[in-house]
Amino acid sequence: MTIPSFILKNALRNKRRATLSVLSVAVSLFLLVTLLVALRELTLPAEDAGAELRVAVRNKISIANLLPARQRATIARIPGVAAVTPFTWFGGKYKNEESMTFAQFAMDPKELRTVFGEAKMSEESYTAFEAERTACVIGKMSAEKFKLQVGDKIALESTVYPVTMEFKIVGIYSGTPDDRNMLFRQDYLDEASGIPGQVGMWWLKVKSAEEMPRVLEAINQAFENTSAEVRAETERAFQLGFISMWGNIKLLVTLISSAVVFTLLLVTASTMSMAIRERFRELAILKAIGFRRRELFAFILAESFVLAATGALVGVGGAWALFTYGNISTLTNGLFPMFEVTPKIIGIGCLVAAMLGIVASIMPSLAVARMSVVEGLKSLD
Amino acid sequence: MALPVTYNVRNVLVRWRATAATILGVGLVVTVYILMQAMAAGLERSSANTGDPRNLMIVRKGSTAESSSQVSREQLNTIQYWPQVERDAAGRPLVSGDLVVIMNLPRRDGTGEANVTMRGITPMGVTLRPQVKLVNGRWFTPGQREVVVSRKMAQRFANCEPGQKFKTGGSVLTVVGWFDGGDSAFDSEMWMDADEARAIFDRENYSSLLVRVADTNAAAGLMQRIESDKRLPLRADFETKYYATQTTTALPIKMLGSLLATAMSIGAVFAAMNTMYASVGSRTREIGTLRVLGFRRRTVLASFIIEGAILAGIGGLLGCLVALSAQYLCVAFGVRFGTLSFNTFSEVIFQFRITPFLIMKGMLFAVLVGILGSLFPAIRAARLPVIAALKSV
Repeated sequence: MTIPSFILKNALRNKRRATLSVLSVAVSLFLLVTLLVALRELTLPAEDAGAELRVAVRNKISIANLLPARQRATIARIPGVAAVTPFTWFGGKYKNEESMTFAQFAMDPKELRTVFGEAKMSEESYTAFEAERTACVIGKMSAEKFKLQVGDKIALESTVYPVTMEFKIVGIYSGTPDDRNMLFRQDYLDEASGIPGQVGMWWLKVKSAEEMPRVLEAINQAFENTSAEVRAETERAFQLGFISMWGNIKLLVTLISSAVVFTLLLVTASTMSMAIRERFRELAILKAIGFRRRELFAFILAESFVLAATGALVGVGGAWALFTYGNISTLTNGLFPMFEVTPKIIGIGCLVAAMLGIVASIMPSLAVARMSVVEGLKSLD
Repeated sequence: MALPVTYNVRNVLVRWRATAATILGVGLVVTVYILMQAMAAGLERSSANTGDPRNLMIVRKGSTAESSSQVSREQLNTIQYWPQVERDAAGRPLVSGDLVVIMNLPRRDGTGEANVTMRGITPMGVTLRPQVKLVNGRWFTPGQREVVVSRKMAQRFANCEPGQKFKTGGSVLTVVGWFDGGDSAFDSEMWMDADEARAIFDRENYSSLLVRVADTNAAAGLMQRIESDKRLPLRADFETKYYATQTTTALPIKMLGSLLATAMSIGAVFAAMNTMYASVGSRTREIGTLRVLGFRRRTVLASFIIEGAILAGIGGLLGCLVALSAQYLCVAFGVRFGTLSFNTFSEVIFQFRITPFLIMKGMLFAVLVGILGSLFPAIRAARLPVIAALKSV
């Protein structure tokens, strides 16, 4: 019998216990990975292609305050600005739904391609969006969810404007990290709401990354001391601004993750001690026939390691498979559109498992080290 | 005849080395479960606790939040002289026109900015909200650019000490006092003069009206009159009811809590199973003896399940204690939590709220884990062949 097969045999001598231990490690690691992925998704929103050249301009008071439409000309004149479009939150409720399930924004149809170039749509759709005033385009995910097709008409009741508007779908786009939003025309909103001259935000595209800081500065200065001061920031900074609003949620998830890891440690350590206590006599015999302490340590460590590694394989691997091939976006009702298990998170999971294997073997190892051969041979348990 | 419960209790305690980890594991599951649900309960309470039952809130039809609602000054003037509206001793109608604006303010700890609800109120606004008490400084003077901040808000945002100033909408506002909202939604707000707010934030209209009515008849009459008046695209409802429906923010936390608790408890069931199997394994001879003494299979089965339940129950108690002390510490040190409310799109401040019902649910959870975890080991114990069990070492 070789040493590896001896370790393996030992790990599997009580198959039920081995299975239960592996499963409890696996469940905990699965949970840990899920939490880490959720946390990453909450704190680091998906980055769009071309986002680095995009700028969001909002009212300095807060995003919920509107901006005057006359600002557009000033922004467009700033050197380095390639394109600018209004971007107005409509807050519409579809059918009789309790709450909003997808966002709608009013914009300039001509700037869809220039500002949000990563959205892929057929040429006819672009043409129709620019030509028909009641036209709208909708993301693939929402279209599939509500079984909408090009040519369908949808009515949305706004929670922001005192109006219910009817739109004709002329295109279904895909290719953004979160294909859920509906886009329609600002001029249609102005007319329907009867409140022209106001937009929610400005979104613009800058010609090159070098010009970005200067453009941001120029926009902020252009409206300083006017009745509508603005805050221009890169798309990334704008998204990160939202994350700060989540408040203590990040701390909370971190605390829970720690609790999970700690529970995991307790359970595995207790299983390992159980397994070792059961074979004290046997270990005493090994000691008696000349195995050294460090060899016994190695046996225990290796066994605990095998259990933890198997648990990691099942738990982390299972999470990876589920989140990569399962449709989490639909399951969570679009709350988590990406849910990506990154190599870093897999690494953390495996690292925790490895630590677990080591820590869990410390207590039993100490017990074995302290035990005298005679005492061990006498023990019945 | 059943085995005495003390037998199980002492068994759990005497084998503490093997059971401690499982007890702690179950305890942590219960702690996480209770604290998560306590957060959701705290969030729900902050809105359920808000409002005066004698008040009606009037908003624009179709708007889901005050901040997206609009009520014009003409509408305020029309409604305030209606006979259903209560008047104070001096004969002035008890009506407040409120302007709700969302502002972006930096956090005190420098970790970024968050949205804050600024409420502009007309002179009756304070009288209409008896929940709100001034705790520091003074109320704002109408016509001045002064704000009174909720004490809990002031602890989280920069420049909110009395006397300090902050800039928004091109104007400088001076903090003149702190109020306490009595754990209501007002704890997440700042208040100032409504007409000053309309000037600063460039708003023509109010967001909502708060109206005191004499009794339920007057309330019904006023709601009826608004509903039937086609010139008023408004909707009136009880203030308490309006806030009570604003609970969607707690939903994700509730869901996350349940999901976590379920997943963690599966792990805990495995751990309990392991412990109980080991317990059965090392007590084989004892079980054989019990059987020889005349205890039946089902008695042994019940006994082991009870033991599992006790094991997990101790863990549950421990978990409850940890959760309660966490709440106690948070209260003692004034720790509060804040997150983005989906209803107001601004920061809502809340506190753990562990209810007896939650404790009960947590304990039930623990006992369930114990019973599930000990079921198979107990069946195994009950099925042990008597002679072989007695012979085992």
